[in-house]
Amino acid sequence: MNKIKDFFMSYINILILDIKEHLENVPQIFKLSIADLKKTYTGAALGWAWAVIKPVVTIFVYWFAIAIGLRQGGDIEGVPYILWLICGIISWFYMGDSITGGTDCIRRYSYLITKMKYPVTTIPTHNNLSRFFVHIIITVIVVLIFWIGGYPPTIYLLQLPVYMILMFLFFNAWSLFAGLVSAMSKDFSNLVKSFNVSVFWLSGVLWNIENVKDNEIVYSILMLNPVTFICYGYRNCFVNHVWFFEQPKRLLYFLGWYALLVFLSLWAYKKLRKEIPDVLA
Amino acid sequence: MKDTVISFDNVSKTYKLYSSTRKRLLGVFIKKIPYKKKKAVDNVSFEIQRGDSVALFGKNGAGKSTVLKMITGVAFPTEGTITVNGRVSALLELTSGFDMEFTGRENIYLKGHILGLKDDEIKALEDTIVEFSELNDYIDQPVRTYSSGMKARLGFAINVNIKPEILIVDEALSVGDAAFRVKCQKKINEVIHKDNVTLLFVTHQTAVAEEFCTRGIVMKNGQKVFDGEVHEASEFYKKMYTIKK
Repeated sequence: MNKIKDFFMSYINILILDIKEHLENVPQIFKLSIADLKKTYTGAALGWAWAVIKPVVTIFVYWFAIAIGLRQGGDIEGVPYILWLICGIISWFYMGDSITGGTDCIRRYSYLITKMKYPVTTIPTHNNLSRFFVHIIITVIVVLIFWIGGYPPTIYLLQLPVYMILMFLFFNAWSLFAGLVSAMSKDFSNLVKSFNVSVFWLSGVLWNIENVKDNEIVYSILMLNPVTFICYGYRNCFVNHVWFFEQPKRLLYFLGWYALLVFLSLWAYKKLRKEIPDVLA
Repeated sequence: MKDTVISFDNVSKTYKLYSSTRKRLLGVFIKKIPYKKKKAVDNVSFEIQRGDSVALFGKNGAGKSTVLKMITGVAFPTEGTITVNGRVSALLELTSGFDMEFTGRENIYLKGHILGLKDDEIKALEDTIVEFSELNDYIDQPVRTYSSGMKARLGFAINVNIKPEILIVDEALSVGDAAFRVKCQKKINEVIHKDNVTLLFVTHQTAVAEEFCTRGIVMKNGQKVFDGEVHEASEFYKKMYTIKK
């Protein structure tokens, strides 16, 4: 009995430490994430424009392949395919970058670990936060595009921040776990990169999962994908006009994944925190 | 009154050496994966009081850097306990915590922010640091364009000027030219005597250490083999070295 209690307490303690490190370092986290942004965008001549150019090009290519190439560009849920695509794929831009970027975050900021004493749990946070800022800007642009395209904001758009925050928290837990493990070995980061593609194509980012609703097993397996949950959450706000609490099962699945990731990240921290400076040094 | 700032109590540090990174990754999940143990620090105990200036002697691989890393809070002991009271400013390596893509000036702010200083506090130190580093116009160039001497100068200028309570200098002084070295030594002397800073100094040049350290610790194969007055420590180290030869 005591063993179980100790086990739980050790995890609770790390969770408390995690939260404490975040609360105590709010200014540092923001400063570092802005520094990260500057580093990403000031090196190139077009600078900040890349934050928009890159997604626009990607969206165009996917749209071209699906709508022109595969001739699957008909309306979905009453909106043109391109709009349906845009409002979901912007969330994938954040998620996809977080899956790989989060995996590399500890390595990328190894100097914060090997050269000075710095709260390790906050490294994924500032790393993700810088991308989240860009994501917010892109989301605002998409709201404007919908407006111009004849779909003004509805009351359902108010729940968008809920999905955004869920997405941020989810991939923060992922980044801490994946970042710590891949700091031990690059193999893990390669593994993640090869899985990233599958996660994308097996999610409903590009094509409508409702198409396979007839096959119940495949449908429910695809719906388990947390990427799908977030992506369709965005579409709930823009296109489907459904509240997040109207789909409690999906939300519960997602929260289950989140709980698992938080547990894994705490496990990784507990196991690897003391070893990682030795490995990275 | 005794005011202990650093205390090592039977501290040991063992590194795990796996034969490949793949084994190391598996070792995270499976306990049985075999690895070699390398004892870098072996049962070391000492106490350092506020205002002390201590030199650490030892050949490469004697465990000095590991000791310093543990004081800084970067590495963790496998056994034993370490207590450190005070803000540690460490110059572990030349590029200590620089972001290569940022300019020297941006790095001053970055480092300040990481250490929890506020913007106006850093602003107050900025000119002193820039002046001390003698980087002039280069201060607004990315750090990746710096020579190793320039990085060392900036690193030293930042670390010594952010009002540390414990200053750790790890061979960084051996890089700059003679004039800069003298300037650094003067600055170190100043902070030790004026601000009562505790200094930990690692070097192979015993003469430099004798200049501003009062106490010397000699390490060999991870163990502390001598701890005492700096001149005696230096003698001990030299003797140990010549016999080895």
